Amino acid sequence: MAYLLNALTKKREVDAAIRDTIDKVLVLRFGRASDAVCLQLDDILGKSAREVSKFAAVALVDVDSEDAQVYVKYFDITLIPSTVFFFNAHHMKMDSGTADHTKWVGAFHRKQDFIDVVEAIYRGAMKGKLIVNCPLPPERIPRYQLLYKDI
Amino acid sequence: MAGDSSPRRQPNPNSGPAVPIDNSKKRTAAAAAATTATKRKSEFEFCKVCKLNHDQGQRHKYLPNHKRSLSGYLDRFRSKLGDVRFFLDNPSLLRPEHVSRNRFWCVFCDVDVEELDSSFACGNAINHLAGADHLKNLKHFIWKYGGAMDCLNDFRILDDDVAKWEKKCETLKKEAALSGEGSHGPTCGLSNGMSIRYPILDLTGFQTLVVHLTLPPFHRLRCYPRDLVVQQGMEVCGAPVSIEIVTRTLFPMVSLVMVGGMKKGDSSYQGLQLLTGISSSSRGDVQGNVHSGAPPPWLDVSERSQTDKQRQQPSVSLISPSNKPRKSKLNPKRVGAAWAERRKIEMEMERRGEIIKSCNDVEWLPNFGRVWQAGSRKESRKEFEMEKRKLPSVETQPEMPIDVQPYISKRMRCKQMRFG
Repeated sequence: MAYLLNALTKKREVDAAIRDTIDKVLVLRFGRASDAVCLQLDDILGKSAREVSKFAAVALVDVDSEDAQVYVKYFDITLIPSTVFFFNAHHMKMDSGTADHTKWVGAFHRKQDFIDVVEAIYRGAMKGKLIVNCPLPPERIPRYQLLYKDI
Repeated sequence: MAGDSSPRRQPNPNSGPAVPIDNSKKRTAAAAAATTATKRKSEFEFCKVCKLNHDQGQRHKYLPNHKRSLSGYLDRFRSKLGDVRFFLDNPSLLRPEHVSRNRFWCVFCDVDVEELDSSFACGNAINHLAGADHLKNLKHFIWKYGGAMDCLNDFRILDDDVAKWEKKCETLKKEAALSGEGSHGPTCGLSNGMSIRYPILDLTGFQTLVVHLTLPPFHRLRCYPRDLVVQQGMEVCGAPVSIEIVTRTLFPMVSLVMVGGMKKGDSSYQGLQLLTGISSSSRGDVQGNVHSGAPPPWLDVSERSQTDKQRQQPSVSLISPSNKPRKSKLNPKRVGAAWAERRKIEMEMERRGEIIKSCNDVEWLPNFGRVWQAGSRKESRKEFEMEKRKLPSVETQPEMPIDVQPYISKRMRCKQMRFG
């Protein structure tokens, strides 16, 4: 199902995706197609893309392409898969109790979790909030260690 | 949390056991009675307003859905009654050929009012609406389905009006008797409404009748649909076909072009093709039309919108009429609202081909708050840009060749220096 999602490789394409998604949440997944966790996340994204299609759009960015390295650095992506959320070309942050609020690191346990997260972001964005709280209970949020500049 | 809110509480060990149990029993009994009252089901009945079978009994007529359907239902009937009222004010002779088409269904009495034996248009309907039975049924309907009692008069005709109508009918009859039957010329009527009948066919075959009337723009043309039905099986019997155009305006101006063709003796006739072309000329005169060489309206809109865009006013109101109607208003305080509006306008322009899609500049970056930076998002973007610029300079350094030299120990170096 994940093959139905847009796979973006160039910066231009990513820019277009960000700029052309108006009044919908843009879910941008940074990862590699060969990674196991990435595949799991892609599976969930692919299956729920249609269900959230009225208020969200999903796109995948390959972290290995050179063109996308700008974004990899800009968004400080160190662990994959990482999902960044945008609304009207503004970046949406989510406080899920982890160290990094700017993105979602890891996969989701269930389709419903993903839908809940996107819905929370959409509601917050419609109210004018740039940072929202995560609706998931802590046991369903993947944990990770964030290293500062690989130290 | 266990059992705090449950009605069946554990009896309080301090007080006597009898009292709390009785209280709880009464409470549960009362609760049970209340629930049965709300759950009591009446028999299923059919609400003809909502077209729904329900078992809510008398409650149904107060529900908002019902109220909504009732207002629509009554509005529709009121508009049909409007036609009848028109004929009340302007009685006109009912031709025999129209009789079968002038039926009227009274929703209160659930009865079809035919005009088989009346000589005037809507005569039977008027008599029915003025009748006592109808009033009784009307009151019953309002009782049953809700609705205000003060619109009673909307749905019936008062006796005074009927009397006036009958007088007018009589005068009409006398006039008709005097002037003879079947005038083939236009009989233009008079007072407020205009009922213009134009018999357009006779046995001689093709006849086109062009009637020029102009309609003020805000009055809509009301044509009796039953009269404009294309009748394939028209017999060649000489019965003139008349088109009744009933306009409720003071100035019945309608441009009407009717083309009807039927050849006598032609067995395979194409049938009647009554083409009614309506051109409301007032609007056309002001802005010109194809014949006068004026630009089409969609170009006008775009010219205006372009000039506005040049004035840099992102007013969406100009563009939106040409789009599909705007959906529910989005929260203007939502994230990136201003940006979204601007972007929508840009995309509209691009779609129309007015602005070539500018190759997004390579340097564009979205608004992003970075992980390790504190401060606003603009600052983080600036930091990133600086980092980007620094990176190439950092990378060039290691490219400089490093001189590789053999290792000479200090002792040897000192010796070399002493001896060299």
